[in-house]
Amino acid sequence: MRPLYPLVCLLMAFSRPALAQVKNPDTMTELTIADADTLDAAWQYDTGSAEAILNIYEPLFWFKGSSLTKLVPLLASKVPSRANGLISRDGRVYTIPIRKAVHFQDGSLMTPEDVRYSLMRFMLQDRDGGPASLLLQPLVGYNSTRDASGKLKPNAYRDAARAVQVKGDAVVLRLPKPYAPLLSILAQWGLVVSRSWAAQHGDWDGSEATWQKFNNPEKQATAFYEQADGTGPFKLERWDRANHEIVLERFDDYWRGPAKLKRAIIKSVPEFGTRKLLLQAGDADVIYASELQYKEVAGLPGVRIIENQSSVEMNPVVYFTFKINPVGNPYIGSGRLDGDGIPPDFFSDKNVRLGFADSMDYAGFIRDVLRGHGTQATGCIPVTLPGHNPRQKTFHLDLAAAKEHFQKAWDGKVWKEGFRFTILYNQGNNEREVIAEILKRNVEGLNPKFHVDVRPVEWPQFLDGYNASKLPIFTMGWHADYPDPHDFAFPNMHSQGSYPLAQHYSNPKADRLIDEAIASTKAARRRKLYFELQRIEHEDCPHLLIVDAVHFRTQRDWVRGWTNMPIFPDDPYGSYFYQLWKAPAAKRERR
Amino acid sequence: MGRFILKRLALLPFVLFGVTALLFCVLQFLSPEMRAALYVKDPRQLSSLEAVIDKYGLRKPVYVQYGVWLKQLAHGQLGYSETAKMPVVDAIKEFFPATFELTCVSFLPILLLGVYFGTLSAVYKDKLLDQLTRFIAITGYSLPSFVLGLLLLMLFYGKFHWFPPGRYGLDTDLLVHGDSFRHVTGLLTLDTLLNGDWAAFLDVLKHLVLPAATLIYIELALLLRITRSSMLEELGKDYVRTAKAKGLPGSMVVRKHALRNAMIPVVTLSSLLFIMLLGGVVITETVFDFPGIGRWGVEAAQQLDIPGVLGSTLLAAGLFVLANLASDVLYAFVDPRIRLE
Repeated sequence: MRPLYPLVCLLMAFSRPALAQVKNPDTMTELTIADADTLDAAWQYDTGSAEAILNIYEPLFWFKGSSLTKLVPLLASKVPSRANGLISRDGRVYTIPIRKAVHFQDGSLMTPEDVRYSLMRFMLQDRDGGPASLLLQPLVGYNSTRDASGKLKPNAYRDAARAVQVKGDAVVLRLPKPYAPLLSILAQWGLVVSRSWAAQHGDWDGSEATWQKFNNPEKQATAFYEQADGTGPFKLERWDRANHEIVLERFDDYWRGPAKLKRAIIKSVPEFGTRKLLLQAGDADVIYASELQYKEVAGLPGVRIIENQSSVEMNPVVYFTFKINPVGNPYIGSGRLDGDGIPPDFFSDKNVRLGFADSMDYAGFIRDVLRGHGTQATGCIPVTLPGHNPRQKTFHLDLAAAKEHFQKAWDGKVWKEGFRFTILYNQGNNEREVIAEILKRNVEGLNPKFHVDVRPVEWPQFLDGYNASKLPIFTMGWHADYPDPHDFAFPNMHSQGSYPLAQHYSNPKADRLIDEAIASTKAARRRKLYFELQRIEHEDCPHLLIVDAVHFRTQRDWVRGWTNMPIFPDDPYGSYFYQLWKAPAAKRERR
Repeated sequence: MGRFILKRLALLPFVLFGVTALLFCVLQFLSPEMRAALYVKDPRQLSSLEAVIDKYGLRKPVYVQYGVWLKQLAHGQLGYSETAKMPVVDAIKEFFPATFELTCVSFLPILLLGVYFGTLSAVYKDKLLDQLTRFIAITGYSLPSFVLGLLLLMLFYGKFHWFPPGRYGLDTDLLVHGDSFRHVTGLLTLDTLLNGDWAAFLDVLKHLVLPAATLIYIELALLLRITRSSMLEELGKDYVRTAKAKGLPGSMVVRKHALRNAMIPVVTLSSLLFIMLLGGVVITETVFDFPGIGRWGVEAAQQLDIPGVLGSTLLAAGLFVLANLASDVLYAFVDPRIRLE
């Protein structure tokens, strides 16, 4: 025993008493899996960045509670509507009165000029692969400040300046044509920064003479990349990139009153086991846990699981490529319908697509993989959004019908000759792997000549195949940019949308419906158009919609105040810290 | 000796140039779309893929891209690492001290325990002690580091709350990022001592215990077995028998004669081990959320962050050359018959 004595003493010295009731009561620590990419509100297009940014900066409006349609004013003093006369009759002029006596974190007063500057900067910075088109399209009528060859459009500044003007205490937006989701977009993306702070720190000063210099910059070249000055409830204490954490400090002069928490930490810890242990020990208050990790966290002492939280996403979706690129394509075998491959236009035959649609076990996937947390998707518009049609006809597992479709496909040649191709999924995405395996098992069971290979690849290889239209079938998903049906209808069904472009899918009628719906400001009309669109979607079957999922949040039971905001980045895992505080169970109701 | 060292050091830039040129050429076999995946991570960005490729010049010929990188190098820059979200030089400065600290804490016990128990194991061949060290070696070598790491974490953090993951706790986090804290060496154990903060020093030490213990247990195995086999070989040689026959005490025969001659493979292995630890131990770093260079290097490779890959490779190659040089010099000390000239 004697040799062990010093060791025991050492361990005792390191040990600490049993957990206090609430650990670090003023600090909320959230563990995620995604690092932030930037702190620049005009650059960010990832959930890791957006969560921190929405705690530092504020938009003009935000969504009321868990609603996705009702807005409440934030930096604006009123939400424009036709009823209050702040939206013109033709739906093209929005007058947004700006709240007074709001200060930035550097102490300066926020003015309508800052709002104008922020919207202009969002549009004119316009980095490749960034979110600028979300405001460019409604406000100036085009998607980019550069033409196809990358040259700057000479009128971009003037177009933006004409669209966004200051009139007294209000900002006036003039649209080239009505754009129904504009207020939703502004609520999510119109974050207000300080013009004077930006100019002082070497960013764009807001003038026409200099905007070109700040167009499409390098990420780290913008002043807002790693510094921040917003009006939000938290200010940036530091972004510690080595430790993968962002530390936010309470802004004591926040216009709605200071937050309950003194500090909030968003930290990326990729290993689930480590996240779980940190949560158990109380060193973390909220952690990301995926559907497949539910059993690992449910029932842990001191941990609360908040289940059935709705989301604004359509994920996963299985897409068929109508015109596969055959050049150097290892995923289509021989490239012919000879039993050892598939021809490039294999999925252009509707019967092939329907055969796959009837081979997918939607109910089984939702029941076994998602533990019943979700309902089968009925259209590309999620259940949480207007325009969703709960009565829309859906596919279900029907192997007899699948067999029938495959027998009809390509005039019976598919059934006679068989086929072989590969489904790729991005490695680590277990849900997509399971979907591919379900399709493989069921389709191969129909005919011994049917062969589907399933292969995991890293994201770069997946992207390479996707971009070259080399993937016969690919599984992806879509998270909302803003809560409006257009944000799902366009990328999934419009011939110029992200996925139809890669699939080479086009239906002029679908395009017309989407174009008409976005220009209409009448809710009933839009609803009708989107219902029709989803009918066409079911008929054409360009993709398989699997689930309208609900998620769960994993947090310590001492975390208080959380309400679901489905459009908040990474919801329900992400946190708007202003509404949160920590209190032991006995003090649950006191605030 | 001095000439030998200078000659080897003069070769270092050429080795580094060769490594980066080779790596750059290999990376160019990946399509521009694959390399653009570093910047396009969200389905919402897919329609901008071509523009991103143009922006970062990913379609330009290999020699042009390499030329751009060399030009940056000439200005003391190694480019910007997207995975570290900072310039490569800064990333090395940020991540390397953490790994160096962990290596220092782990390497000395590995070396001392490995040589000591390896020697004892050979001397007491097939006895209980030998069986015990064999058991330690086999379990250490066959146990995946993430399994051992997580088990240790569950026991000593999850159950006893003794040794948390990460590099430091919340209080130390606030302290080291405060204005009054002086960063002298980048090694937090030393810096907290130099700042006279014992609580922070203990906290940093607490965070080092489990990753170091994992590394020690796993890396000890190889050194232990090599020392044992090398010692067994020496103990069976004539000069050992002669020394024993002359009546020298057994401990002196082992220490002064056999062990010294058995050291050559041990020195070789130790230098490789040291480099491996310095290059980063990605699984241990990931499990313990330890912000070292290994995790960064692997992330850079997975995401095809070319400046990051080149930077971490340059560092690893440079360290490898230096460690090889150090082991060559050590050979001469261990065995004077080896003349470096």
